[in-house]
Amino acid sequence: MTIFPGRRRAALALALSGVLALTATACGDDGSGGAGGGGTEGSGKGKITFWDNNGGVRTDVWKEIIADFEKANPDIDVEYVGVASKEVQSKYDTAIQGGALPDVGGVGAAMLAGIAAQGALEPLDERLEKSSLFGKLNKGMVESVKAAGGQDKLFTVPTSASNGVLYYRTDLFKAAGLQEPSTWSAFYAAADKLTQKDKNRFGYTIRGGAGSIAQALDAMYGQSGITEFWDGDRTTVNDPKNVAALEKYVSLFKKNTPAADVNNDFTKMVAQWDSGEIGMLNHNLGSYQDHVKALGTEKFRGIPNPTLDNGTRVMVSNPVDGLGLFSSSKNKAAAWKFIEFAASHESNSKWNKSAGAIPANTEAAGDPWLQEAEPTKLAAEVLFSGKASIVQLPYYLPDWNTISKADNEANFQKVLLGSMSAKDFADDLAEQLNEAQAEWKQQQK
Amino acid sequence: MTAAATRTRTAPADGAAPPAAPPEGPGPTAARKRHRAWDEVPRWQIYLPLGVYLVFTLVPFYWILLFAVRPAGSTSLLPWPMTTAHFEKVWTERSFGVFFQNSLLIGIAVLVSTTVVALAGGYALARFDFRIKKGFMLALLCSQFVPGALLLVPLFQIFAELRMINSLGSVIIAETVFQLPLSMILISGFIRNVPPSLEEAAWVDGCSRFTAFRIVVLPLLRPGLVAVGSFAFVHAWNHFLFALMFLSSQSKQTIPVGLNTLMGADSVDLGALAAGGVIAAVPVVIVFAFIQKWLVTGFSAGAVKG
Repeated sequence: MTIFPGRRRAALALALSGVLALTATACGDDGSGGAGGGGTEGSGKGKITFWDNNGGVRTDVWKEIIADFEKANPDIDVEYVGVASKEVQSKYDTAIQGGALPDVGGVGAAMLAGIAAQGALEPLDERLEKSSLFGKLNKGMVESVKAAGGQDKLFTVPTSASNGVLYYRTDLFKAAGLQEPSTWSAFYAAADKLTQKDKNRFGYTIRGGAGSIAQALDAMYGQSGITEFWDGDRTTVNDPKNVAALEKYVSLFKKNTPAADVNNDFTKMVAQWDSGEIGMLNHNLGSYQDHVKALGTEKFRGIPNPTLDNGTRVMVSNPVDGLGLFSSSKNKAAAWKFIEFAASHESNSKWNKSAGAIPANTEAAGDPWLQEAEPTKLAAEVLFSGKASIVQLPYYLPDWNTISKADNEANFQKVLLGSMSAKDFADDLAEQLNEAQAEWKQQQK
Repeated sequence: MTAAATRTRTAPADGAAPPAAPPEGPGPTAARKRHRAWDEVPRWQIYLPLGVYLVFTLVPFYWILLFAVRPAGSTSLLPWPMTTAHFEKVWTERSFGVFFQNSLLIGIAVLVSTTVVALAGGYALARFDFRIKKGFMLALLCSQFVPGALLLVPLFQIFAELRMINSLGSVIIAETVFQLPLSMILISGFIRNVPPSLEEAAWVDGCSRFTAFRIVVLPLLRPGLVAVGSFAFVHAWNHFLFALMFLSSQSKQTIPVGLNTLMGADSVDLGALAAGGVIAAVPVVIVFAFIQKWLVTGFSAGAVKG
């Protein structure tokens, strides 16, 4: 027996209308222009939204800078949104596709090309030329972000740089009668001497999990002494010298490092170094404050990555952080004012002091605090003295983030575990990079 | 829709009592034998595996508690001296107080909406026959294979059109929609276990279908509702992706998103992270402690009959 036939038809009609309405809604355009477009200069007043690409950890200092800005610009309100660094790329990508980008956002060089390629960022060259910031930003960092954008345009105002640091436990070195591991030979010797597996003491902790590729590249180029990432259109990653360096580096695994290091991301790596008895750790300036909190300033030092025995120092570039203005912003004038303020002497100094990073503002880089934070001071000296060769990683490749992370981290773990040779790993990586480079060059034509 | 659907498969259509069947399964003697065999198992064979399992389960919890109450810089393996500094920091400075409220609001709203809608849908699936029922059930099952991340951009666009981005409503709707298929299937299983003859008796006494459902069926579904409701709450409480993508303002964010921000690109405050983890875990532990009895009954009841 059929019951409520009329109602069933009505229900079906209602459901169908609902589906059609939702479909139409889903295919609509909210007018924000998705990736870009639709933005306006605005009045220079009102509310702007700022996404911090390292939310949480830097929230306090950003809130301080925003309070200063709002005091100096009472007509502008800044809404702070802290986004966790691990999720910021997907948050930007979704917002680009869905059309809900902020006015200003923190964009590191490693993700810059991908976002810029989608037309989401406003070129800032002209604004910078007319700004009080012109001539006050570190030229190397400006060039670095310009190159990273991949279109020979400035898509972010650089705010800070980091650098590879070798942290070592001065107390353990002293007890073992070891000198500072300033050369790769001294580094390997110390790793051996400090390892006492029966007492759960290790000479080094290797990064085998997330973020392992950049660290491995640092060790490869640092030991091989090769100073260029490209030889014509072919990468030097799989140069025999780099392969040999990688073999030596991964041989530390389990011999001088905990076996669990195969899954080490920076969190685990830093945590076990701060709480255990491990001699050395490679990381960047960002974790300096964590080490200070855990160990105080007396038990460790952070020095630039080791040199070759002849004193040659080669390091790979670290992504320069910066602030981007999104093309879809309805208030670009106010957004630019905020960027200018955040990159100014006082704010940039405040931010970098809190982060332990190298300021992009040259006036901020001259502030006294930089002389007191030893790893930052040494890193800045290495970076700007010209005494070290910096291998520029190809951040401009839109695929760089994928190649240097998801696509190859599992292979690096295989190399650590012995199921893949260092040569195969390097060849595979090189092939992907060469392809990405060729594709990028094709797009540039 | 057909009235025939309201008839039970277990009770005869004419309402006559089924013939008495001989007792099935193990009788008292068999139970005694089984009990004796159980008693003969050496205790260590029971407690050793349980103990090992417990260690594996509890060590991470101990680690979290240790870091949460241990002062920064301490390497002690005991939570002494104890500090509440990390809790104070995450609750006030890192706005976990606000995140907690938002998560609670979302969790309760998802619990209520999922349970109510799943109850209605589950009742229809259990008691009515309709032309596309099998296809509908299949669609419900298949929807479980679609990861939320796949629908992220379309959902984002829909909510942007509806001006619901950065509104807790968007997360509540998305979570409810994703919870509904499984909840509906579970509830329909629970309802099938309630003999339709009970409802029919209430109809004979003059109750409407809804009143009969409310008075007769609903009380019998309590374990099932607890199972489905708690499942919906815990899932909504822990879910990260939709809250991350649909909510932007600091004042709208939830506990899982807040936890994630405690891990920076290059640095992490382990004390604060552990304290945040404890805050995130406490409501779930409390919920499970209270509902454990009904939860086990509920899931096993739903599992008996499809």
